[in-house]
Amino acid sequence: MTVVIGFEGSANKLGIGIVRDGVVLSNPRCTYITPPGQGFLPRDTAKHHQERVLEILQKALDEAGIAPHEIDCVAYTKGPGMGAPLVSVALVARTVAQLWSKPLVGVNHCIGHIEMGRLITGAHNPIVLYVSGGNTQVIAYSQRRYRIFGETIDIAVGNCLDRFARVLKISNDPSPGYNIEQMAKRGSFVELPYTVKGMDVSFSGILSYIEEAAQRMLASGECTAEDLCFSLQETVFAMLVEITERAMAHCGVREVLIVGGVGCNLRLQEMMEVMCKERGAKLFATDERFCIDNGAMIAQAGWEMFRSGLTTEIKDSWITQRFRTDDMEVTWRD
Amino acid sequence: MGEQPLGFELEVPFPSAREARIAWAALSADPEPRGRGISRVEELRLGGGTLGVRWSAAEARILRVSVSSYLDHLGLVLRTMDAFGPPQPGSAQNNSA
Repeated sequence: MTVVIGFEGSANKLGIGIVRDGVVLSNPRCTYITPPGQGFLPRDTAKHHQERVLEILQKALDEAGIAPHEIDCVAYTKGPGMGAPLVSVALVARTVAQLWSKPLVGVNHCIGHIEMGRLITGAHNPIVLYVSGGNTQVIAYSQRRYRIFGETIDIAVGNCLDRFARVLKISNDPSPGYNIEQMAKRGSFVELPYTVKGMDVSFSGILSYIEEAAQRMLASGECTAEDLCFSLQETVFAMLVEITERAMAHCGVREVLIVGGVGCNLRLQEMMEVMCKERGAKLFATDERFCIDNGAMIAQAGWEMFRSGLTTEIKDSWITQRFRTDDMEVTWRD
Repeated sequence: MGEQPLGFELEVPFPSAREARIAWAALSADPEPRGRGISRVEELRLGGGTLGVRWSAAEARILRVSVSSYLDHLGLVLRTMDAFGPPQPGSAQNNSA
């Protein structure tokens, strides 16, 4: 029996989760929400995390019914992410690891999403589409690495959606992506740039185009905000489906797993499902409990790492804003 | 790097050497985020019960941001030790199955 506590705070969500042998015992979380039209900045986000982290930690222990001495390992997000929020959470993880005399494991944020996705859905060896505000990657596991077959060459798809929400002054509660999704249900199509580049994608041009379109077309009444939300989703999600399908074809894989915050989006899941059905493949997705950044996903990846013999010395436990998914050797898989 | 014109030194006494070491290890793991123009050195002093921190910086603004951020981090470590301490003796083995 192995119990791992995981600390996650790489962006505006702060979560601490406890996992024991494949079971999530607790997973409390809170979100730093900014006013409409504003994104979250690193310093203010870090302040939020510093103010809430000990309360969330106590809640995780209470809800799991676990005492510190029962914990075997402390896992935290080493990166990638925003510098100041990452440091704020890592400090607490390092401190409690020493207070409780437990080993520490630094986890890659993306691998956290993948391992939780695999645990929850039971997907065996899928093509992984990892889509969030900070990351957009198509990943396949091969020879002890989570290899990046395709990715964004500029901004993440979630970043594109979030920044478009700012232009329209859409609420950030519960998340701008969720609110775009709701508005899109009432829209019709407006043509936007389609920028797939082989296995890679680009979103910055689409964002610039639709920002300009929002100013011009809304002022003239040529279309509605709902139309632009619908069109942005249709365009960027079709791009994601295309690069995922291309990776499936290259690898001969019949499973797709969507992870990351944008993976919550039901329209994206629907479009991916259509493609998978046509290819005779199976789609796996999780709900918002695990799609969105959370502590349990770090605990789960930490559990795999710890059980395979990986730990992080305190002196090596610095955070890094850039931590490539394929930098980590996956010693817990064949 | 060479000597910088501005400096700041901080000494933080702790109830025990063990607690000072815990704070030192937690805080010293992360280097300055923008290494250029500032350096920070942490050490344990006075028999290990005091954390000493020394900064050197090229500009007052950079120094102020770094010290302010460090104090926030120190505050968080202290609150963590208050809430989830005291330090437990090292466990001989984990109960891994």
